[in-house]
Amino acid sequence: MKNWRMKDIVVMAALAVVFGIVYLLFLPVNVVMMGLIGPIGTDIIFGVWFLVSIVAAYIIQKPGVALVSETIAGVVEVLIGSSVGPIVILSAVVQGLGAEAAFALTRYRSYHVLVLMGAGIGAAITSFIWGYFRGGFVALDPSYVVLMLVVRIISGAVISGLIGKAISEALAKTGTLTSFPLGKTYRQRKAG
Amino acid sequence: MHHINPSIKAGTVTIAAIVIAFLFDPLALLLYIGWTIAVTLLFGKVQIKKYLLYLLPFTLFAVGMLVSTLLFAKTPENPSITQQFLLWELPRETVQDALALAIRVFSYSTLSLLFVLTTDKVAFILSLIQQCRVSPKLAYGILAGYRFLPLLKDELTTIRSAHLIRGAKTKTSRFSRYKQYTIPLLASAIRKAERTAIAMESKGFTGERDRTFYRTYNTSWTDWIFAAVMLGAIALCIIVSKSFQ
Repeated sequence: MKNWRMKDIVVMAALAVVFGIVYLLFLPVNVVMMGLIGPIGTDIIFGVWFLVSIVAAYIIQKPGVALVSETIAGVVEVLIGSSVGPIVILSAVVQGLGAEAAFALTRYRSYHVLVLMGAGIGAAITSFIWGYFRGGFVALDPSYVVLMLVVRIISGAVISGLIGKAISEALAKTGTLTSFPLGKTYRQRKAG
Repeated sequence: MHHINPSIKAGTVTIAAIVIAFLFDPLALLLYIGWTIAVTLLFGKVQIKKYLLYLLPFTLFAVGMLVSTLLFAKTPENPSITQQFLLWELPRETVQDALALAIRVFSYSTLSLLFVLTTDKVAFILSLIQQCRVSPKLAYGILAGYRFLPLLKDELTTIRSAHLIRGAKTKTSRFSRYKQYTIPLLASAIRKAERTAIAMESKGFTGERDRTFYRTYNTSWTDWIFAAVMLGAIALCIIVSKSFQ
């Protein structure tokens, strides 16, 4: 965290604000999904809640970004008011840790699409363990719980991994990221 | 309530929520919900009307949880013991589990509202720096980012008008329409963030810890009493509920 520039932090916070709003907007969607097809409905769209980790880490490419950006998004959710209260910050930390672990495994050297999907999967797993206790999945059929986990992992890989990558690269194309690693690699690729 | 240190309040609420996660006794939870609501309304000076309005979405969420647990419950050990639930005959175990879960979701909501409705947002962040040793660089970064919130709405209107005036067609499919607005919105947010960061630094913000504060937050014995009472109430609810059974 020592080598973070002020710019990195404020950009992270700005991303967290935008995604914090997206997260809140998806809460009612979540209720609808759950009402329609049961608890697994949540898992289908769960990848949405890891997006900021992947986008911020891919753009800034520094250790700790995945964890901290997700945590800030949690704080922003609390600041906006509705949401699930300060507990959501803790959930965010748990998810952020999962995503961070994937980047840490590559020692923050690779931001290949597989690593991004791995970050989504990591967040899916940690968030599932946390949800198992918090949401009381014990009351559900064990085979159903396994199915929920599988669906959440896929959602983490596809929604946060692939869509997160797409969003970041679309941003790089606009030219706003020139002072960030992702913008630089994009420019090099274009030139070379 | 409004004068209790925000960090201690947040910590108390979070610890209470973690304890509740291991509590399956519906009666104890109901008692605690009653307690939390009473504390919020009496000591938080929150209007009942406003409180109910905030509670509405959470209620929907709890009901959704109830219905889905009833439908997807694990096979009960004694399916023969049934219980009348509204219109259906269901295994007693399933009904109890589902009710306990829904009540739990509801108790999280009341705890959250206790915090959200009685805490000033900026005070919360500033107290995080002063009590929880969060780095000022990070915390003021968050505050700066948080200030973009009202600006985003204006930005969206600007983007929409810009598209209109240049004759860009609004995409018909929902997905590409999202893309049409999200990317410019994010791009402008990042540009704004960069400018803000440069402005902060050029005005001498170093983010070091030995800074002074215009608004200082301290912890006093009332804060710790609040924490003790809120957490002690959980134990009390469990004891009361046990004595009823």
